[in-house]
Amino acid sequence: MKDPEDKRTILQDVELKPKATIVWGTALVLLVLPFIISAPLATEILIWGIFGLGFNLLLGYTGVLSFGHAAYFGLGAYSAGLALRYWKASLWTSLLIAVAAAVLLACFIGALAIKRRGVYFAMISLAFGQMLYFLALSPLKHITRGEDGLTHIPVINLFSISLNKPIPLYYFVFIITIGMLYLTWRILQSPFGKLLQAFRENEERAKACGFNTTLVKFFSLVISAFYAGLAGALNTIYLGYVPLTTLFWLTSGTMVMMTILGGKGTFSGPLIGVGVFLFLQNTISVFTPRWEIFVGAIFVLIILLFPAGIVGTIRDKYSTHKMKKLRREAGFPAARSE
Amino acid sequence: MLFDVPWNVIVLQLFFGLALGSIFVLLASGLSIIYGLLDIVNFAHGTFAMLGAYAVFVAISLSGSFLIGIVSAIVVVGLIGVVIEFILLKPLYGKDPLLPLLLTFGLSVAIPDLIKIIFGLIGKPINYPEALSGATVLGPLILPNYRLFIIFFTLAVLISLWLFLKKSDLGMIIRASTRDSLMVQVLGVNVSRIWTIGFAIGIGLAALAGAVAVPTMAATPDMGVDMTMVAFVVTVVGGLGSLGGAIVGGLFIGLVVAIASFIAGEYATVSMYFCMAVILLIRPRGLFGEVGRE
Repeated sequence: MKDPEDKRTILQDVELKPKATIVWGTALVLLVLPFIISAPLATEILIWGIFGLGFNLLLGYTGVLSFGHAAYFGLGAYSAGLALRYWKASLWTSLLIAVAAAVLLACFIGALAIKRRGVYFAMISLAFGQMLYFLALSPLKHITRGEDGLTHIPVINLFSISLNKPIPLYYFVFIITIGMLYLTWRILQSPFGKLLQAFRENEERAKACGFNTTLVKFFSLVISAFYAGLAGALNTIYLGYVPLTTLFWLTSGTMVMMTILGGKGTFSGPLIGVGVFLFLQNTISVFTPRWEIFVGAIFVLIILLFPAGIVGTIRDKYSTHKMKKLRREAGFPAARSE
Repeated sequence: MLFDVPWNVIVLQLFFGLALGSIFVLLASGLSIIYGLLDIVNFAHGTFAMLGAYAVFVAISLSGSFLIGIVSAIVVVGLIGVVIEFILLKPLYGKDPLLPLLLTFGLSVAIPDLIKIIFGLIGKPINYPEALSGATVLGPLILPNYRLFIIFFTLAVLISLWLFLKKSDLGMIIRASTRDSLMVQVLGVNVSRIWTIGFAIGIGLAALAGAVAVPTMAATPDMGVDMTMVAFVVTVVGGLGSLGGAIVGGLFIGLVVAIASFIAGEYATVSMYFCMAVILLIRPRGLFGEVGRE
């Protein structure tokens, strides 16, 4: 690569402003998804997709790696589950409670740890995630039911349609997903979204320009916890119970793998990563219960060979191609080291 | 008597905490050496400790000797470390600093499953070695011999590590590379090889921790995550990249867990995370961390 600056400018044209066509194209694919693959798998893709959209805001666009997002996902799942089971709360109330709980937790962890360096924050977030897992496992067993998970969650009706049927549930989650896609798009278009990307590219420079990097990273964490909490609550409604694994470190790790697989810092990357990951997982687990070894090995290979992920690699190839074309048109000689 | 608990019981708990802390020290010092030298947070640290535990299991079932078990743990896992550093980590140096972390995370997902395929899901218990079972009576105290061994063994490892780093030429080069690897390279040292050695030493320490700990628990495929977590908490408490921090932090967390499991058993695991949160509040860089490294 002879001229990285050049490439970056073009990258910004290509991807940093996600085009409306990408957003609505994604929505169209999701609209017909339950007729292509099974509706429960499609629902799962949407739920993890919402989780991934938020996670990507933090990892891909802000450049902060959290290894404890299971904490927000699981807390959302448990809060919704507890509200539905013990207080007989309505659908919207339980969603609200879940999101509020996740956001509050993010405020707490963010206040403690967001100032720390990247790798340090990764370690701390993972440790806090495990803390919640162990709290739910044993000291809070009388509420959370420990290892068995939270069961006996009542079936929820929305406008007298029962949400325990696959297709109505899918379209309920679909509408929320579209809302979250639109929200993500607006966030990335906003000055705040630009600021996130400025920090990822060069934190020192953004700081020198007078921006409060800590505060922006903090809000990025809180927003992504909002997505995670919502996804967790939807997961509770989808499964009809809350497994303890929603809080487990592997849930955070899975999210990290999905986002990297799809391409961090790309708009549609997390959704594609989630889809490919869940499809792989479902396919491999038909043949062997030991799917983690394959998923782990594939992830290691991706880190080594395609760290930009599926969408990121395609985007890079496309922008290299576009740059060559631009150079040709402008009459520059071809770059030597491409 | 303190709150109706006899003194000798309290001292015994502290003794248990010290033994547990010794294992934590071995784990965290390995993590610290790797971070200091290569700037990598090794997410698979506990996974290598797990491999150490299984190496002990295999060596004991083949030879019957615990000593051979410990030696084979450090040799086998150290060599695995060399291979991993050489093939998987070397290509990532100089790129995004989060990539090595993510790669070791991928290993921590894949390796336990490999162990499950080879050794099965059920844990492998290992008996205390004959010579180290039983207990030593010290006045009103009855101290289990194996815990005494853990404490003295860790002490011996730390002293030899200290002598190695301070007195040997290789140790000096490792310390210099931790400070400024570019300068060391300019002076004509093959720093790339030093990194491999440093990684192997750090992984070897993790394997030792797993090997020494395994008779007090059983070797299970999923023990690695818990050990990684312990190493992280100790490192945050002690300060990233500081060997002194790893030692003090490890002993401190060991004591906290032992006391918590005595007072309120179900909070034993959670207690160390509370500790970490408190340390982050009052001293974010950890007890021994340098300013600016956190």
